Amino acid sequence: MTNDVEKEIISIIADVSGFDEEEITPDKNFYKDLEIDSIKAIEITVAIEKQFKISVRDEDVPNITTVRQAMELVSKLIAEKVA
Amino acid sequence: MYDVAIIGAGISGLVCGCYLAKAGMKVLIAEQHFKPGGYCTSFNRKGFTFDAAAHSFGGYREGGRVRNVLTDLGLDKRLQIQRTDPTDIIISPDYRLTFFADSKETLTAFQEVFPHERTALSAFFAFLDSPDPFTFARIRNWTFKRLLDDFFRDERLKTLLAFPILGNGGLPPSRLSAFIGSKIFFEFLLDGGYYPEGGMQTMADALAERFVEFGGDLMLSNSVRKIILHRDIISSIVLEKDQEILTKRVIANCDAYQVFFELIGKEHLDDLTVRRIESAIPSPSIFVLYLGLVGSPVGLPSPGVNTWVLSDYDLDRVFSTVLSCDFENLERYMMRIQPRGDCLMALINVAFGTRSFWQTNKDRFAGAFLDTIEKSFPGLKRHVVFMDAASPLTLERFTRNHQGASYGWAATPEQLGIPEFKRPKFPANLLFTGHWAMQGLGIPSAFYLGMETAAYVLRKNHGIISCKGINRP
Repeated sequence: MTNDVEKEIISIIADVSGFDEEEITPDKNFYKDLEIDSIKAIEITVAIEKQFKISVRDEDVPNITTVRQAMELVSKLIAEKVA
Repeated sequence: MYDVAIIGAGISGLVCGCYLAKAGMKVLIAEQHFKPGGYCTSFNRKGFTFDAAAHSFGGYREGGRVRNVLTDLGLDKRLQIQRTDPTDIIISPDYRLTFFADSKETLTAFQEVFPHERTALSAFFAFLDSPDPFTFARIRNWTFKRLLDDFFRDERLKTLLAFPILGNGGLPPSRLSAFIGSKIFFEFLLDGGYYPEGGMQTMADALAERFVEFGGDLMLSNSVRKIILHRDIISSIVLEKDQEILTKRVIANCDAYQVFFELIGKEHLDDLTVRRIESAIPSPSIFVLYLGLVGSPVGLPSPGVNTWVLSDYDLDRVFSTVLSCDFENLERYMMRIQPRGDCLMALINVAFGTRSFWQTNKDRFAGAFLDTIEKSFPGLKRHVVFMDAASPLTLERFTRNHQGASYGWAATPEQLGIPEFKRPKFPANLLFTGHWAMQGLGIPSAFYLGMETAAYVLRKNHGIISCKGINRP
């Protein structure tokens, strides 16, 4: 399941950023490597919420700087939803 | 066969076209109007040159989006960009707030008027300049009202800060996205008041000229009549004179309703796409008054200063008069004498209402609007030798924006960051740029989106965009 979640997240980031999926690895920094600005950060957050039917809390958002952190957060929120 | 066909020569389409053509792609821009610029055109009447709808622009600080793009495209030297100081003044019955070219000076001036909000004002200005992109993702669901409530207690200060945002974004704080409100405040007010010498048209003309120099094909007075699909992918566009143009991709710098429902046609769309467009909410329109002046009127704001006049501190009530096209309470407008000193433009938010309303009432509304301005600036009328106006119908006719929508999709939190506005799922080779791609952000955003859309296309084609324009707003 985690792999599917990761794949979906990478696909969303690729769609918003224009970078190829192969370039979007977990250690990539949104800001420095993927040229994510505030508008794209919002687009990614909105797309993730819609895709996984989760709600990303306000306080979670500023802590995300890498693709891995986004993946971990989404997995956590999905697990909480199931529980 | 074109690599990209761009529909519409608005600022975003021109910027996008320049970057793509510069990178070596074969690009066509087709524009229905006889001049480029969209809302950034100017027109001549009786010796006066009026800007049609855009009054000035923001984002030209060192590192600002507009400056970066114009520098990338080699236009920073070709255009003479002026800035007035102060840039904007807000006038209400009890207050006068001035925006200076130096935002530190602006902060100090505001703190003098509202000393009890001193710390909050500092915190608010610092927040707007926040460099972390995810700071704004945190407030993606907030309204601008909630953001202002988070910082301030003084209701009148909140209203004064929100009024030019209503003017530049088309929604009151209770309905406007906090993100959009913050960006308008930062890009239009704290870094606003820039103007290309000669009028807004000179900037659009310079971009169009540059596009052709980069090898792009620009067709004016040639509207797109049809977008043709082949196996769910756009294969060509049909122009006004029945020319069919083959293209690998279409970038729409024009109204979304027109693209989906007229150019592609509902019969080619799935229900989900139709529902998505039909349920989305467009922004309201504006009414523009153009006055040609003679003599030296006294008591008017200096040329180049955007002057915001407001008589009612309840912006929800103000917005209800916008929606009802009320003639009675028009003391909620922006006026500006163009830098040359002989032309005055005044803008006021209005709803489209009905076609027949504006067909019948355009002149009456213009008269009532002039009377309202005269009330604030007595003696103005004596200097007016020419008067014209643009209603939502006029704006629709010249720009083909749905019902004269001035800011694309309404900038509500619910409609913020919807990826399908920029990149519809269907057809796969269609992209949007300009205010139907990302709402409410005006000229700096038109530049940003033009550049970003080009960067997106080039990345997909394994090209790179060489620019310092990619900065992070």
